[in-house]
Amino acid sequence: MTLLTIQNLRRSFGQLVAVDGVSFAVEPGELVGLIGPNGAGKTTVFNCISGTIPPAGGSVTFDGDDVTGAAPPALARRGLVRTFQQTRELSTMTVEDNMLLPWRDHPGERAVNALTRSSGVAESERAARERAQTLLEVFDLEDMVDEYASSLSGGQRKLLELARALMLDPKLLLLDEPFAGVNPTLTQRIAAHIKEFNDEGLTLLIIEHELETLTELVDRLVVLANGAVLATGTPNEILNNDRVIDAYLGR
Amino acid sequence: MSAIDDLPFDAVQAGVVLVIVALVYLFSPFYVSPAGFTFIFLEVGVLFLLYALILIGLNLQFGHTGLVNFGPVAFFAVGGYTAAMLTAVDPFKAVGLALPWPVGLVAAVLVAVALGALLGFSTLRLRDDFLAIVTLAVAEIIHGLIITFRDVTGGSVGLGNVPRPIAAPVGGGGGAELFATVLVLGALCVLAYGVFHRLSTAPYGRVLRAIRADEQVAATLGKRVFRYKLVVFVYGAAIAGLAGALLVFYNGAASAGFFTIDVTVIVWVGMLIGGAGNDRGVLAGLAIIMGFQLTTRFLNDVLPFITQDQFASVRLMLVGLLLMLIIKYRPEGLWGNARELGVES
Repeated sequence: MTLLTIQNLRRSFGQLVAVDGVSFAVEPGELVGLIGPNGAGKTTVFNCISGTIPPAGGSVTFDGDDVTGAAPPALARRGLVRTFQQTRELSTMTVEDNMLLPWRDHPGERAVNALTRSSGVAESERAARERAQTLLEVFDLEDMVDEYASSLSGGQRKLLELARALMLDPKLLLLDEPFAGVNPTLTQRIAAHIKEFNDEGLTLLIIEHELETLTELVDRLVVLANGAVLATGTPNEILNNDRVIDAYLGR
Repeated sequence: MSAIDDLPFDAVQAGVVLVIVALVYLFSPFYVSPAGFTFIFLEVGVLFLLYALILIGLNLQFGHTGLVNFGPVAFFAVGGYTAAMLTAVDPFKAVGLALPWPVGLVAAVLVAVALGALLGFSTLRLRDDFLAIVTLAVAEIIHGLIITFRDVTGGSVGLGNVPRPIAAPVGGGGGAELFATVLVLGALCVLAYGVFHRLSTAPYGRVLRAIRADEQVAATLGKRVFRYKLVVFVYGAAIAGLAGALLVFYNGAASAGFFTIDVTVIVWVGMLIGGAGNDRGVLAGLAIIMGFQLTTRFLNDVLPFITQDQFASVRLMLVGLLLMLIIKYRPEGLWGNARELGVES
């Protein structure tokens, strides 16, 4: 069954039509890149899928259910999780608290259980800690556990945001320009992590406007231009597509 | 402050025991009758404990969740007048239904909760500063209503003949009543502190601090942000309403003078001095500011050439100056965590 289906998605801001009838699908286990020049509507599509803004028309189907216009918390609990283009670490919280926050269905997040200190709270907290520890080790952040997120370097913040999203154990992870403003070494590292999690079965949809990194990484590319899908295919097909080259180079 | 954390019991357990002890004391034939010179301290102590209840709620709202509630006095007043109007027996020119005091106490909390839910529903989805403006305005409106609706609230004269359930069972006159009131309110304060402290230290508190840091991220990570904000706002309203009821049951009367913007200012200044988000620190901050006011009152006695009115203005200016110094040189307050509050220089 298809994991994510976008059909005829539309959204405008005032007179500006940002997304004008976008349709594409993502299969389970796929690693798909969503590319296009600046202003093509990538982030708007992303925001509409992730519930950050409601679409004006069209539908989003995730894991068999219509989730068009669903709120971010509901989507996150269903397993559709996104990151932001600018890293949005919770800088006034420690790395550990950043990691523990997303843990699903934590009984300690209900006032009654927090008050009565019921046994499930400690158990969930322990399980969350274990998972957090594992992920932090994967991303080489385990020494930073007790640091405030504000003291991390830019690269570490990127990694933390990725690790934090994975705490939700998502079915589909939407990454908004994970390589933006990142040096080449770190780009390689992040790409390797993405590949690794994809190999373990995680489905990913990645926005990027630079083609280079993505073409080596993804299974398939969806190219947006002027708010519509221009082409879709394997990286090789896309690189040899004249219309894509025109759109990108503006000729 | 860590020694308190190492105790084998927490404030909820201590609070429950203290409340039981206080009640046993209240209905026992024994009483403590303190010396006359302590009355002023006990009176300020009662006020401190009532304000502490409001502050415990406000600290969860602002210190942990980042909700700017500039009108805690609104819920304090609504609770106070609800309790007074339901329980007063034949007040002079005001509503008095002469119901038993427990009815008034419960109703005070419920009406404050209703007001909190109403304000929360209408403003918590909007930008942060709207809540600040709306709560400030509502507090002023409620104060205005109390003054204007004289036939209902007693206006500026007040509403008397309210039962005094703490003083009533105690024999031995005013001093003994004061002592018993401090004991009961102190026990309730410890319990309330314990309840709210359990919330803020649990994973529940982590969600609140995530909302303070970045609502959108908290939502993206699966947290129902609006629901948390609404509930926290209502908790704060409830405890302020309770404090209002306790005030009128202590006074045996409700009067507009007890529910002015000064209450809001004192609890806010106390919270900022102590360090928003530090559950014990804010109470220490409140003690500092109220201690400051008490000392300056004594100072007034030794400076006879300054009138009381003039001195009150000078004191207000000094409070303002103190607040400015804190914001400028120690924005996290005395016991606040600069990194958690995001105010590092």
